[in-house]
Amino acid sequence: MAGSAPVAVDADRGAALERGFAWLAATDHKKTAAKVGIASLFFFGLSGLLALTMRAELAQPGLQFVSDHTYDELFTMHGSGMIYLFLTPAALGLGLYLVPLQIGASEIAAPRLALFGFWIYLAGGLTMYSGFFTNSGAGDDSWTATIPLSNSTGSPGVGMDLWVIGVALAVLGSLLIGICILLTILRLRAPGMTMLRMPVFSWTMLATVFMVVASFPVLVVAMGLLLAERHLGGVFTGSTGSIVYQHLFWFYGHPVVYVMFFPFVGAVGEAVATFSRKRFFGYRALVVSLLFFTALSMAVWGHHMFITGAVRNQYYSLTSQLLAVPAGIEYLDLIATMIGGAIVFRAPMLFALGFILQFLLGGLTGIILASPPLDYHVNGSYFVVAHFHYTLFAGSLFGLLAGLHFWFPKATGAMLRERLAKVSFWVLMVGANLTFFPMFFLGYDGMPRRVPDYEPRLGDLNLLATIGAGVIALGVLLVLINLFVSLRRREPAGNDPWGAQTLEWWTTSPPPRDNFTSLPEITSYAPLLDRLEAAEEERERRGAEVPA
Amino acid sequence: MSGGPKGGGGPLLAWACIMLALGAMLAIWSEGDASSLLFLVGAIPLLALSGWNRARPAPGGPRLLARVSVPVVVTALGATLAAIGLTGGLWLILVGGEVALFGLVWLAREVTLERRGVGR
Amino acid sequence: MADTRGDFSEVWALYLWIGVGVAVVVFVAVGFALVRYRARPGRRPSRVAERNALELGVATLILAIVALLVFRTFHTEAEEDNSSRADAVRIDVDAFQWGWKFTYPGQGVTVVGNSNREPSFAVPAGRPIAFTLTSSDVIHAFWVPGQRFKRAAIPGRVNHFDMEFDDRGREQGLCSEFCGLRHSAMRFGVWVLSDGSYERWLAAHR
Repeated sequence: MAGSAPVAVDADRGAALERGFAWLAATDHKKTAAKVGIASLFFFGLSGLLALTMRAELAQPGLQFVSDHTYDELFTMHGSGMIYLFLTPAALGLGLYLVPLQIGASEIAAPRLALFGFWIYLAGGLTMYSGFFTNSGAGDDSWTATIPLSNSTGSPGVGMDLWVIGVALAVLGSLLIGICILLTILRLRAPGMTMLRMPVFSWTMLATVFMVVASFPVLVVAMGLLLAERHLGGVFTGSTGSIVYQHLFWFYGHPVVYVMFFPFVGAVGEAVATFSRKRFFGYRALVVSLLFFTALSMAVWGHHMFITGAVRNQYYSLTSQLLAVPAGIEYLDLIATMIGGAIVFRAPMLFALGFILQFLLGGLTGIILASPPLDYHVNGSYFVVAHFHYTLFAGSLFGLLAGLHFWFPKATGAMLRERLAKVSFWVLMVGANLTFFPMFFLGYDGMPRRVPDYEPRLGDLNLLATIGAGVIALGVLLVLINLFVSLRRREPAGNDPWGAQTLEWWTTSPPPRDNFTSLPEITSYAPLLDRLEAAEEERERRGAEVPA
Repeated sequence: MSGGPKGGGGPLLAWACIMLALGAMLAIWSEGDASSLLFLVGAIPLLALSGWNRARPAPGGPRLLARVSVPVVVTALGATLAAIGLTGGLWLILVGGEVALFGLVWLAREVTLERRGVGR
Repeated sequence: MADTRGDFSEVWALYLWIGVGVAVVVFVAVGFALVRYRARPGRRPSRVAERNALELGVATLILAIVALLVFRTFHTEAEEDNSSRADAVRIDVDAFQWGWKFTYPGQGVTVVGNSNREPSFAVPAGRPIAFTLTSSDVIHAFWVPGQRFKRAAIPGRVNHFDMEFDDRGREQGLCSEFCGLRHSAMRFGVWVLSDGSYERWLAAHR
């Protein structure tokens, strides 16, 4: 017996003024998510160009293209842009789009709040980047803005102030969107959609928004205090002032990297299950491991402070290394989903596999960094840069691309070009490894982070990394071309081009304004697969009854 | 067409409890360092939310939804200007504040009219 | 014990080889799955979706590996935190934007330099050196890659650590915590000398 579709009632919208602004002020979660996606893509492009400029400078020893100060702005705005303005909003935007569809809701909870959150985030991002147009230049004290360097003596000028305010706004906007997703999961699931029947992706979103709610407010407060320090002084004082700032910052600074991970491992999980033609393996173990993984990730932030001597290294080393346990369970589940399946190598599956293999290198080097004796050597070096680019670029971004290629047909009604997608996958894979693998060696050999110049003996590996960056740029270009071409000359997708398993594939592509006109019965975390398997069993039963 | 499944607060409760345990562990291991209080930032709202959700379950049924909300955008613009004003000068804070206030009043009006429009 | 290089190497070897081992296992498992379970005409996917005993087993195995790593780490960390011996050479390090000041308390020797003129200080080979480290302005970090060790230089705070330099010659040191405009040029040298050469160096710098 099919469940009934959720129903929304239109409030009267007669005013002519609003018709022109319709899209910018639309509250439909799908439209807000599209706005978030477009804005995050824009900031990805800007921040990516900054990275290419950095790599151009680093291709050879010596200073060729930019000054010391400009380079400081480049790496600050590259890191800030990617974390605050691209990958975090993209992760939450993916959830904003998909969670109502996956749980059978007609709309997000508090759609106005989500719209407000988007605009605050966009405004924050523009504010941050507007620093480039000031005399003092854009923010230039890295994405962490450590005290005392970030106070008014160390980083004077309105550009840095705009950075601080912009970061606070961007993170606040993301927080508000996260709250909407949390409320949606808590209160708007369709009849029959118990918590333990929520799809894998929605569970990863729930775990993500726990971390958002628990840590993002602290960053907003930290930025407020930093602004006060810059204008009034006396906030981060004494011998412990700089340490207090680091606690406040990293308490957010660590969970945020998991906010930029979990939605994408969820996307990968959905893709792997779909293209293995099996339901996701170990669902209950996954749920338990998600809760522990995300809670633990709130308790590791001190590992960024091992070399200060100001934190209890052992506690943080223990919690950081314990992360390997739930992470291992998730890897087990992904692999066990593939085993026994009938694997089809469509583009989303390729990106998912890229994520699985490449994120692993990032994660394992993270375990290395979790050991203080090892961290004492490689902290602050290119080893760390390699580590987090493996997790965030070769890992999370590939997971995002898996999700993009998987759900693009649902959101737009058009298929992406399959061959172009596969080519772009291979180009990005080569580029990612060529760029970031040498950096492990550069760091181990003594190259620190955040430098425009280095010892001549490190030139060859740097040149290799720069070539890799060029390859990445090509790969990104191919993805963008694919998006453009697929929207211009559309191949219709239909409701369910992949033979997928969860509720969003039940409705049309793109979904109607209220998401569903009907709902199937919800019997597990893969309701469409349940129907398929039930139909197969029915056919077999009927086949067995036919008299010989 | 009644409301969705009740509850759902279980995971919130579980997560909040793990946070409290980890915080307690840090408090003991670091001999009372104030940083362990940070764990409350997540634990308290999630406990409160799970309690509230149990006390007031989602009513389910049709939801009244606005399709477009310009005052939200205006309020966001005002809030941004006021925030930038923290470095740009009091005048900008006042301008931003006025715009945000205007937006909020407009929003309140929009919401009231909506509810009246469907007879609530 | 101040053998930072030795401490690092032992722990590094354990972590690296276990990491490589895990990576190999995962790569092989994924490769196996992709080859063996490719879609083929007539292939019906299995419906097995849960094996909690397996989950528990794998979790326990990983926990055991983590326990091994954690114990090794804690053991080495405890060694590194041990207080200095009385015969250690004492050097006070003060970091500033963008250079270093090295003071030998009680010896009347101070070496200062900055990004225009890289400072170098000397240590006797094979003897423990007890450093104190602080900063005059922003956070810096004292890193000697050859010694596999660094510490943060924090204004208002004094960090203590020991190092032992075994091989005679010159070690490169640098700042590894972003500290502003000339961060990349904030370098220093360490001359690792025989006892006799070290005494002569001290005398020359008084």
